[in-house]
Amino acid sequence: MVADNPIDPIHQFEISKIAEMQIAGIDISFTNSSLFMVFAIVATMTLFILGLSKRSIIPNRMQMLSELSYNFIANMLRDQVGDQGRAYFPFIFSLFMFIFFCNFIGLIPYTFTVTSHLIVTFAFAGLIFLAVTIIGFMKNGLGYLRIFYPSGIPIFLAPLIVPIEIISYLSKPISLSVRLCANMLAGHSILKIFAGFIVMLGFLGFAPLIFLVVLYALETLIAALQAYIFTILTCIYLNDALHPDH
Amino acid sequence: MKFILRIFIFVLPLSRAYAEGQESAGLPQMDISTFPSQLFWLIITFTALYLFMWKFVIPRLSTTIEERKDKISNDINDAENLNSEASKILEHYDDKMNSASLESNKIVSSSKATMNEYLDKLKKDNEIKINEMITESEKKIHQQKQQSEQEIKKATIETIKSIVSKYVEIIPSDDEISKKLN
Repeated sequence: MVADNPIDPIHQFEISKIAEMQIAGIDISFTNSSLFMVFAIVATMTLFILGLSKRSIIPNRMQMLSELSYNFIANMLRDQVGDQGRAYFPFIFSLFMFIFFCNFIGLIPYTFTVTSHLIVTFAFAGLIFLAVTIIGFMKNGLGYLRIFYPSGIPIFLAPLIVPIEIISYLSKPISLSVRLCANMLAGHSILKIFAGFIVMLGFLGFAPLIFLVVLYALETLIAALQAYIFTILTCIYLNDALHPDH
Repeated sequence: MKFILRIFIFVLPLSRAYAEGQESAGLPQMDISTFPSQLFWLIITFTALYLFMWKFVIPRLSTTIEERKDKISNDINDAENLNSEASKILEHYDDKMNSASLESNKIVSSSKATMNEYLDKLKKDNEIKINEMITESEKKIHQQKQQSEQEIKKATIETIKSIVSKYVEIIPSDDEISKKLN
């Protein structure tokens, strides 16, 4: 698995520059990663522009799709956070659509998966972590620190519980970002490896081909599931910030 | 099993990258030089998407969904109102039907009563008339009977007289004959 190997499973994650750009000496070139970010938002925008072009009481298919996604996220937010979560709905909705389309576009061969890069998922997770912490302190003041000491715990357990809670709180952005990134990375790598087996085995390649088809279905499921998990965990963290007593 | 495989695949290139050192970054994810560009474009694209969602998609979608909800609940309300109205009308209709049948029964019974009364009266009148006629005719019959008896008596006397006169010289008087007849 060296760089010139034609079936190097890591090759698909390499970032190549399309247009060089620099601001204050920092390299911010337009890369294939940027291109697929643009694709993801263009796909989202296309979905909604088509879905909203003819707004009617009885929706057509595209309107149905956009309303389904809207209701899906709105219900998720309402179930997890309640009515207080309404203010954060645009962010949660955009987050879901962005990750969803990044994951799905990445499943097409010869494309690039934006969410397979840890820095991207960590940017989201870090932003969510910071925002949730700030919201928690803004809404509850210092009372937000209660989340580190759940009610009903005997006082002598506090020296044990509080560090554990602090560590688990601080590890939230890491687990959130690594979960998405690792799933994308591993799934796409395995797909590539098995695709390589097909080529290598020649006539016997039909066996990994069958496996590849099954795996592709599984990866499709994972692409949707990970977008869902990322979003619902964001909702849960937000709920913790708004209602630290629970 | 899949989890272990994933860890393996995730860790393997990392360790190789570590082993190879600086000359080749094994995993593109670990190439720090690409981070500023990714973050920069992520911020731009995601902000664009966020603004699009916030300003364009969500207001329109929510109004459409609200309008549909309103329309459906309005329609349901209308249907319920119409339903209750219809049941009211049905009740009214039933009431009317009941009262009408009661009235018609009343009319039928009262007309029956008057008819019976009339018939009774007619019967009584006729009975009286018939009785009168019967007594009258009885009287007549009685008279005629008496008359005919007397006539028979007279005729008998006459006959006896004429028969006796053929054979006997002495003609008995009427009183004598009637005495003998009785």
